[in-house]
Order: sequence, then C-alpha cells, then structure tokens
Amino acid sequence: MPNLYAIEALNLLHTCLLSFDNAAGELQPWLANALPTVQYKDSLTLISYQLRKAATWDNGRPVQATDVAFTLKAMNCPGLPNEGLKSRFQFIKDIQIDPKDPQRFTLICQGRAPDYIRESGDYFILPEYALDKEGSLRSIPLSYLQENSAATLARNPVLSAFANRYKAADLAHHPDKLPGCGPYRLEKWQSAQYLTFRRKTNWWADKLRRIPFQLQAHPVAIDYRVIPEASTSLLALKQGSIDIYPLVPARDFSTLRASATARRKLNFYINPSYEVVTLGFNTRQPLLHDRLTRQALSHLLNIPALIQATEQGFAERTVGLISARSRAYYNDSLPLLSFDLTQATSLLQRAGWLRQTSGSWSRPNTNGTSQQLTLTVSYRANDPLFEQIGIQFQSAAAMLGIPIRLKPTESSLLAGKLRKGNFDVYIRTVAGNPFIFNFAPILHSASIGVANYTGFGTATSDKLIEAIAAEEDLKRKALLLRKFQVLLQQESPLVPIFFLPYRLIASNRIKNLQPSGLKPGYEVKAVITKSSKANK
Amino acid sequence: MLRFLLLRLLRLILATWGIVSIIFLLSRTVPDDQLIARALESQTDLNNRVVTIAERQALEQQVRHRLELDRPIFYFSIRPSAPGARAHWHWNGFNNQYHQWWQRVLHGELGRSYRDNKPVASLLTETLAFTLPFTVLAALLAVGIALLLVLWMAQHARWRTYWLAALYGLDALPLFVVALLLLYLLANPDGLALFPAYGFGDQEPSATWLEETGNYLYHLALPVVSLVLITLPSLVAQLDASLQQELQAAYAVTARAKGLAFRQVVRHHTLRNALLPAITLVTDLLPSIVAGAVVVEVIFALPGMGRLLADAAATRDYPVLQGAVLLIAIVRLCSHMVADWLYVQIDPRLRSRL
Repeated sequence: MPNLYAIEALNLLHTCLLSFDNAAGELQPWLANALPTVQYKDSLTLISYQLRKAATWDNGRPVQATDVAFTLKAMNCPGLPNEGLKSRFQFIKDIQIDPKDPQRFTLICQGRAPDYIRESGDYFILPEYALDKEGSLRSIPLSYLQENSAATLARNPVLSAFANRYKAADLAHHPDKLPGCGPYRLEKWQSAQYLTFRRKTNWWADKLRRIPFQLQAHPVAIDYRVIPEASTSLLALKQGSIDIYPLVPARDFSTLRASATARRKLNFYINPSYEVVTLGFNTRQPLLHDRLTRQALSHLLNIPALIQATEQGFAERTVGLISARSRAYYNDSLPLLSFDLTQATSLLQRAGWLRQTSGSWSRPNTNGTSQQLTLTVSYRANDPLFEQIGIQFQSAAAMLGIPIRLKPTESSLLAGKLRKGNFDVYIRTVAGNPFIFNFAPILHSASIGVANYTGFGTATSDKLIEAIAAEEDLKRKALLLRKFQVLLQQESPLVPIFFLPYRLIASNRIKNLQPSGLKPGYEVKAVITKSSKANK
Repeated sequence: MLRFLLLRLLRLILATWGIVSIIFLLSRTVPDDQLIARALESQTDLNNRVVTIAERQALEQQVRHRLELDRPIFYFSIRPSAPGARAHWHWNGFNNQYHQWWQRVLHGELGRSYRDNKPVASLLTETLAFTLPFTVLAALLAVGIALLLVLWMAQHARWRTYWLAALYGLDALPLFVVALLLLYLLANPDGLALFPAYGFGDQEPSATWLEETGNYLYHLALPVVSLVLITLPSLVAQLDASLQQELQAAYAVTARAKGLAFRQVVRHHTLRNALLPAITLVTDLLPSIVAGAVVVEVIFALPGMGRLLADAAATRDYPVLQGAVLLIAIVRLCSHMVADWLYVQIDPRLRSRL
C-alpha cells in the first residue's frame, strides 16, 4: 500500500517510461528515449515507445520491451496485491514487441483519451530476469489476464506458481531481490526510523553524453528520517542533524523564520500546492438540494481571514478547482467568493427560507411540514486547519441565526460517511496536479457512492466533464474548463476555499532544491550539497 | 499455594480471552473504508478515469478477499435476510474471522501486517527490542529513585513537604508537556543543546561496544528522564504515605523507645511493611514497560510498541492491533498474578489464609 512518501523512495530505485517536469509543465521521456508516438485505429489507441539504448539493469543487462511486458502482466496477475494498479491500467489491453528491435514496443489501448499517453508511461518498470527467471509469463498474453475471470486465472498453474514465487520472495523486506534501473539502491533501513539510499557507482545514465534533467541524480547518499512530531523535526533541523524539512506546519514555519539565528543557517520556501481545501455540500439533502441555499452558505466563508488565521496569510485563493498558475485554464473573469452576510441573507430568502421571530430559518415543505435550516459540518478529527474553518463557518452562520454543529470524525469513519452520503457539509482537501483536469471522479453523477461525495451531477455537468476529459485540443479544452468553473460557482456543490501552500525549510548548504507544489514539495535527486549528502 | 496459582492462571486465561475477543469484535465493527481505499486509490482525487460503484465494489471485494475480511466477523450475526426485511439471527459457521484468528493464534501464528506484510510475531519482537531497554531502564530508575527519596525524606522531615509539593506539581503535568519541556530545554540549539532531539543515533561501524552503548544511552537520556519524571510522583507519594503510617505504628514507636536509631527502625522494621501497598504500583509498571509510551515515542521519534499500536489502530492494521493487544493483555494479567503472589510472599497473614 504505497503512500506519497513511499512513492518518493520508489522514484529513487526505479524508473517509469515517462516523468513530468513540474517547472515546464510537460511530460518528459524518462526510461523512454523520446515521447511516444500515438496512432488511432478503430476504437484503439496505439502508443509506441522506444526505450533508451543505454538503459541497463544493475547486472548490465539492457532494459527491454520484455521487461515492460512483464511489468504489465505482473500488474494484472491474480493473487498479488495489485487490485488498484490493475484497475488503473486496464485500458492497456496488449503489448506488441517489435521483432526487429527488442527495445521498441507498442501498447494497445482500448478507447481514446488524452490522458492515455501520460498514463501509459506512469508505472515502474520491473526486471523480468530477477522476478521471473524462467520467463513463465511470456507465454501468457496480457489480454488473457484481462479478459478472463479471476476464478479462471486462479486455476492457471503458471500464474499460481508465479504469484507464489513473487509472494515468497517477500520483496517488501528484501529489496535486494528487486533491483531497479533507478540511480539509487536502498543501503539500509529500519521501519519507523530511517531509510538510507546510496547512489549507484555504475548507473547507466552516467554514461550518457548529455544527461537530461529527469535523469540527473546529484546526492551521493540520501537519508530519510522518520520524525512524527513537528517540534522535534524543527529542533533536529536547528541542530543540523537533518538538512531538509518538507511540509512544515504554518505556525512553526513562521516562528522559525522570525528567528535571525535560524535565518542565517536555513533557507525558507513557500510554494502554492495543487491541494485545494474545500467545503462540500451534500446536494442529496433536502436542505441543500437547491443551489441558492448552497450559494448563500458559501458567502459565510471569510476566506482572507481564514488564510490569515491558518496559513499566516500565505495561500492562493481561487475561483474553482483549477489553480491560477494554470493560466490558460483558470477562469480569471469569475469573481472570488466574498464574505457577505447581506448577500447570504438575500440568497436564502430567494431560496424560500423565512427568518422566524426566534432568529432561525425555515421553509415549508411540499407536504405541509417545514424545514429548519440547521446543519452539521463533518471533518477529519485532530486537524487544526479544518477545525478553524469549521469554527469560523459556525460563528458566521450564527450571526445569521443558522445553527451549525461541528462534528470532527475519525478519518476512516468520515470516509465511510462521505461515501454513503451520511453528512450535511464536509471540509476536506482535494488533491490535484497541474496535468490532470478530469473532474469526473469527484463531480460526475456516475461517481456518486464512490468519490463524488456531494452527490452532485446533472446532465449538463456530466456532459461538460466528459467533454473536458475527452478533449485533446488545448484551446478547446481551456474553453471547456473555463465554462466548468462558471458552472461550479453557480451550482456550488463544493466551495474551493484556497490552495494549501507547501512550506519547506532547508539548511543553507542545500542548493538546487527545485521547490514545487507537488508533494513532497521539492526534487530530492536535484539537490546539490557541499558534501553531496542529504538528510531529511 | 499451587491451587491458588492454578486458580489465578485460569482467571488469567479467561480474562485474556475476554479482553482480546472484545477488542477483536469492536475493531472489526468499525468501518474499514480507509484501509480498502489505501489499497486501491491513487494519490490524487482527480484521476484519469471514473470508477463506477459496481467497479469499485468489485475492487473492494477483491481487496477484502485478499485480506480475508470478506468472511463474517463472528459465529453468528443479526441481519435481515433481504433488504427491508426484519433482522434475525444468522449462524455463520466456523469459517469466520474470529474463529480463524484464534485457530491461528493457537498454532502460534499471529498473521501478517497489512501495512508492511511482515509476520506480526516478528514485528512485535523487533519492536519490543526497541521498547524494552528504555522502558525497563525508566521503570528501574523510577523505583530506585522513589525508594531513595522516600528514605531520605523520612530522615529529613523538614524537606518532606517541599519535595512532596514539587512532586504533586510534577504529577499534574501531562507526559507530553514534560517531554516537550525537556526537549526544548535540553535539546535546543537556541538554549542548551546537551542532548540529541530524536532517535537512537547512528552507529559508526568503527565504534567499540562501549562507545555504542554510550551513544545509545546518550540518545535515550531525555525519553528515559521523561518517563521517570512522570512515574516518580505517584510512587513516592504512595511509598511515603505508607512509610509514615508504619512509623506511627506501635511496633515502630516501641523500637524507637528502646533506643534503636531512626535509620535502623526505618530500614529494618517499617520499610518492609511500607512496601506492601506499593506492590500494585510497581507491578502495574510491567504492562506499560511492554506497551511502551506512545507520547514519548512520538516526540523523540523512537520506534516503540506505543507507536506501533497507535499506528495499527489508526490504519486498521488488524493483525498487528490484535497481536499487540493480546501481548499487552497477557502481560497486564500476569502483572496482577505477580502482585498477588508477592503479597502472599511478603504478608504472612495472607499466606496463613491459603
């Protein structure tokens, strides 16, 4: 079950076909020699790759198309913990290896989507020679793995034997059995304490005449230290026992930056991320079914005050789920949400709510009864950011006579409640990135009960979301995205509050950190130090 | 005596079974959405494709099947036979999670961690190897210092009130405050940077055994001091009250009247009796020695049992959670048995009643 930190570590050991250059905002070939060529044939997308000629495994064997084929088959092999990967890459139906060039291959993908190119190269390539010495999976086509039922596949002796060998290898605890073609090897590690990576002395990319950015790996050794407590991390940073501290809490960051001693020894970075804090409404609730009520409640958020209180004034405001940094797609003609009690009152009245003499709000139902405007706000417990937003929303609502109950909930319980729609209003973050603009998982009606927690989805919005996901022409995509932001602001199933800033503190002997808005907030392989050793 | 111990052992087995079963059933009734989501979802909310409810349910079913969470939790359940129908008792047979877990435990297998796929038994052993040195050291120091302090206070009555007041004040502080105070006071480059802020330190390959031990103890200093400071007040208060009571007793007054030195009265007559009420306090340290101290482990970034248990609970790592609870429950109940046995050994009145 890899998390973001595990993926960061895996990026040091293994390589994918493609990588994403955050600064340039474009795809780059990584293990591939160049960006793939794409052809369309009937309902299929054919994506052809050429691997880098110089790419080799640690034993000197070249990385070949058979390794890519093996990886795809392993991701679809039954009996292995690969359910998520299997689902994510199920659009790759087959792989055809060029008989004349063992480093050239074509991926046969079902359907057509702009994201196929990036996705087709976004998985770590595994060495066939290390995990399947006999090449037992070569005789099994990828399509066989995808088209047959789990029960049929489980009866296949070749697949069962492979799955048993794979599990018996216990790769999670014997990384030496899984060599990667990345620049580092895991030298030592201790669970919940540290991981030490050491750069390979014979890494294949060092032999390239010109080493592209994505293949650069400067630190000789990288130590990751697991320090759960922020205060301890700060002291360790001040003591000089760690060099880089990413994702620093706002208050700690400001306190340390205010210290002249710390400023002499440390550098401070803030980068807006692609993680947006949102307030979501359960549109299935009769109280929140109409957009005017949702719009009214949106005006109870005093976003500048929230940014000041929770992020010490540093956060990027937004009109929608797209960051202003994606200039072509951001709809700058839309107004930023204002804290406006008068406007909220007027919208509530337009939505049919009547203020009672007691100060509360009610409106008649069609069956003769009346609805009381009272809401519960759910959010992850022990999160000061969400708590602060909840408290501010509660106090603003109280000014209008709307009772709000705050319900901090344990994260797993909250996830279940959101999926089942057992909530009124939630506060959570939506994690995005600068290259995916597919809002279907969180706002399409087909995703209700999965990740569309608000339950929002109309024929118009579904059509627009589908059109955005399918559009390949960037200009047309920009127009659609701008239209989507207008629709989101009008319908207000969720309110994007602000993009979280990622704060990073590093020792001043660290150079070339390349801070970015994607976790963990910097590029570790780019780091240059006096001794070329980074501790984090 | 044997009958007494056998009865205690039987009670221990029954109580362990009860505690572990309750924890098992409670933990499995909590939704496992996040556990399943972690196994399935990518790292962003804006993915490349829509997963429909049917697809999602099929994926979840696959993960649950792999983790053996698709079986019924217990031998029976109460559920409706059809949606909307009345709920009724349903016998699930022996192929349930509870039965399977106990069956494995009785065969000496605690399962594998969902998080890192390590056998739970070896995970617990590894973690105990980190936890025990500092918790045992802290417990020994706390008991030793408490004894010395109580004896010293008995002989220096003028200082007793001040010491007790200071210790009551210390007792009012939560562990995280004590640990953070020590960290900011003694591991802070802006103040006194006498100790390291976290971890066990790096072992140099060329270091001698003595250097390694010294480095290890140097890194453990603040965590151990935190635990000692938090354990000491209750021990001292209990021991002191008990000793003062014994010193008022007729036999102690008689001993003093006969001309025995105060120090001798305390050391040879009253202390042994004063230790009786403290037995429970001391044996109560045993489970915390095994369970670790999550607050200290988090603050000083130590990989102990407390953190393992807290992380397992937060991430729904059921095999680890169950294994750790089983271990701690056994140690806690054993500590009660040890306390009972010590009472019998020390107090002849109890021995005569058996």
